[in-house]
Amino acid sequence: MTENNEIKLIRTACPAHCGIDACGILAHVQGDRIIKLEPAEFPNKVDRRICLRGLSSLDITYHPDRLKYPMKRVGERGEGKFERISWDEAYEIIAEKLKEIAEKYGWRSIGWVLGGPGAGTTKFGAYLRLASLTQSTRVSAWGYGDAGLPCGSRVIFGSQFPYMYLFGKFWQRNWPELLVVWGANPGESMPLQTMRKIMDAKESGTQIVVIDPRFTVTASKADEFLGLKPGTDSALALGLMNLIFQNELHNIEFIRDHTNGPYLVRSDNGKLLRGKDIGDKKADSYIIWEENSNSPKAVRRKNVKSANITGTYDVNGIECKPAFQLLKDLAQEYPPEKVAEITGVDGNLITKLAKKLGTTDNVTFFTYMGFTRTYHGDISLRGLASVASVTGHVATSFSSGYLPAVLNWDPFLKAVPDKPSFHRLGILNLYEAVISGKPYPIKALWFAFINFLNQCVDCNKIINEFYPKLEFIVQTELFMTPSARYADLLLPVCSFLEFSDFVSHPYPYVQLQQKIIEPLYESKSDVNIVAGLAEKLGYGDYFKGGEEGMIDIITDHSSLEGYNRETLSKGAMLLRALPEGGNFPLNFRTPSRKIELYAEQLVEDDQALPVYLPPIEAPITPGENKYPLTFIQGHSRFRTHSMFANVKSLLELNPEPIVEINSIDAKARDISDNDVVTVFNDRARTTLKARISESVGPGVVNITEGWWIEQFKEGSVNHLTHDIVNPVQNKIYEPNMHMNDVAVEIIKYRGGG
Amino acid sequence: MSKRFGLVIDQERCIGCEACTVACKIENNSIEYWIQVETQKVTQKDTPSGQFPDLKLEWLPRLCNHCANPPCVDACPNEALVKREDGPVIYEEEKCDGCQLCISACPYNVILYIQEKNTIEKCNLCVHRIDKGLEPFCVICCEGQAIHFGDLNDPNSIVSQKIASREAFQLKTDAGTNPSVYYCPPKSRRRL
Repeated sequence: MTENNEIKLIRTACPAHCGIDACGILAHVQGDRIIKLEPAEFPNKVDRRICLRGLSSLDITYHPDRLKYPMKRVGERGEGKFERISWDEAYEIIAEKLKEIAEKYGWRSIGWVLGGPGAGTTKFGAYLRLASLTQSTRVSAWGYGDAGLPCGSRVIFGSQFPYMYLFGKFWQRNWPELLVVWGANPGESMPLQTMRKIMDAKESGTQIVVIDPRFTVTASKADEFLGLKPGTDSALALGLMNLIFQNELHNIEFIRDHTNGPYLVRSDNGKLLRGKDIGDKKADSYIIWEENSNSPKAVRRKNVKSANITGTYDVNGIECKPAFQLLKDLAQEYPPEKVAEITGVDGNLITKLAKKLGTTDNVTFFTYMGFTRTYHGDISLRGLASVASVTGHVATSFSSGYLPAVLNWDPFLKAVPDKPSFHRLGILNLYEAVISGKPYPIKALWFAFINFLNQCVDCNKIINEFYPKLEFIVQTELFMTPSARYADLLLPVCSFLEFSDFVSHPYPYVQLQQKIIEPLYESKSDVNIVAGLAEKLGYGDYFKGGEEGMIDIITDHSSLEGYNRETLSKGAMLLRALPEGGNFPLNFRTPSRKIELYAEQLVEDDQALPVYLPPIEAPITPGENKYPLTFIQGHSRFRTHSMFANVKSLLELNPEPIVEINSIDAKARDISDNDVVTVFNDRARTTLKARISESVGPGVVNITEGWWIEQFKEGSVNHLTHDIVNPVQNKIYEPNMHMNDVAVEIIKYRGGG
Repeated sequence: MSKRFGLVIDQERCIGCEACTVACKIENNSIEYWIQVETQKVTQKDTPSGQFPDLKLEWLPRLCNHCANPPCVDACPNEALVKREDGPVIYEEEKCDGCQLCISACPYNVILYIQEKNTIEKCNLCVHRIDKGLEPFCVICCEGQAIHFGDLNDPNSIVSQKIASREAFQLKTDAGTNPSVYYCPPKSRRRL
């Protein structure tokens, strides 16, 4: 027995969906039980970190409510009545049912709804691999809040994410003179990887500006806070640009070299003028108006330096303007007084910020997903990125730092190289596919690491219209979540301390998530669950090595040579540094290969410029909507989305959902602190405690997302949200859920129904 | 000179996350929270003071001050509370009879009475860790890297340097206790 009392230390990494924080964790293990977790060391001492959730992870692993064995539904969907079955029975039932559905409707009618895998990789990859082999449907989860930012970034930068262009240098600890945190709250959602750096920067002299509808933890550390109305970000962006242009503080050289601002746009149809329009032999070339020769020229690297970026020109009888002139014309419609009225931000502050942006050499813009969760959130991102571009505060290359890891995704995305792979549906498109059969019917869904009903929009629609259309629902889960209750087959998955995965975060590190203990009860990792099912479907060979085999596949890329299970078992490893004197170009993969201040692909949609379009539902102008309050969902440090909502140690500090309401709105409704109130709109109502707080301005109410449905007196946050599709986002990439673009009213709870 | 271990808590870097609160409870397997994060100037946790958008949100983690002149030690009739040579004020649970005189004597309201055990609990500066050369658990778990540990008698220690450079203050100095926990105030804002 003495042997069992010995304490072993094993390093792993927390892959919770804060994703890029990916804290290294050192587990203390006695016998077969983990007795303690602590922050593990990193090669750079300052990167050692953990958060209150990571510290509480044992309360998930050893939670009494864990699902312990596979179960089959015996009651109605939603009732939560299940009976125990064996894994073999479970695989048998699933394989039979999937084959039957595939026979009737084709394999593509079977979808894999994969939530955010956090920092994990192979648990996500394994499902993609099986989806690829069976040519079934992969449901992309970007659209449950995280598609708006990629839509905007794809348009202006030609890249899924704007991070490297906007704040890659910041992540490499190059502190700017001015940091603008716009529409993000890393103080709660990324405290370690980002907020620490923000505070380090401030300590070394960086001035911090925070733009947000809420006075967040991040805002509390700001030198200046601009509290704007939700969804009005692009009006603010245009207002800033107007002042920058008026005072000639824009960076003409950067605009010429790196944006499509100099390219001539036809006034008759909004298209960019091409060589063929003026008889140039380079038919597809973009055209500029060259200053020296005072004539139109096909654009070259050299002549663009003498391009006129303003003015109106006659080119063979076609009236044209440089794209930049069009942006300038649009911005001119947004003087500070008007912007103040739209956004609620003091006009003097807007003027001061514009001046500062235009006169400061080194500015970094930091942003994330939050402010893009409005109907036109993609344009909000484009507005921000346009302000950064016209002032030259966008990185076009790195000359130092660490090269990003490239993961070998191909074997997962396309398991058999010469055969077609999976079909793909955005998660908001899934609603229509299930409910109306468009673009094709979906009849069976497998949910993994997603609490779908709790976290996706319009719960009543999901319960009444979506679930009933499905012939078969499988879910892998740790707990009987609100979503798990609707599964036909419920499979117990293990916590992150019970399986291995490869974690390519936090930048500039990669880590191994090492299995610390064997899976508890009959739980399995997602990878092993997929492998078990694949065996029954005849694809067992593709999953032979289990978790470790999957890790070996994904690290098999030249950029990761030397980074493997063995070397990583000792600790986090730094990525390769860019060689001295090296230059790592950050290309723009837009149609013009430039930052697109003007997006030709969106001319028909009247969104070629980063126009301000009001939110679709949030009531910006008082009195015009029967639901006069804008409802938004911030993030809470006590949860990672809906994870940790059932952890006792955290509930002690944060026991129940509250709705934050400004004192003015509360007074008008005779609501006092701690009153029970009902928040409602045409779709539904939710009842919970009120907190009178100045953290939100008048007209805005906030409930942090992630609380489970049963933790409300009735309803939940997503009972109030809508599934309206933005067709432009649908065209660019995939439509986003607009959780921060919702109108509500609040009254004191009256009891009953 | 002998060591005098203490903490410096930087309000400028405290993000009010309560990782210290959670970490401490796990490390010490305590019933109560020995370190509690107070939101200043308001009655409800995590709500700012002022009027939107002119607001302030500042936190003050409170814990035993490990005073140089600890009134709790003087008040305890059973010698259950001891001031160690190197700074920490620790308690020995088996000697405590639950009289709570220490609680009345402490000006900081950080000694906690535990009804079910009829004893007190309080922060002991993780002496089980510092005796092994490790930092207190709240220090290594602080998300904002706001809590610093070191020897207040060593002018080169991180804590002494923070105190010297940051207008650090102690709580309730008029009580004559001379706390070993110092706070650095938030920096004033550089408005646009």
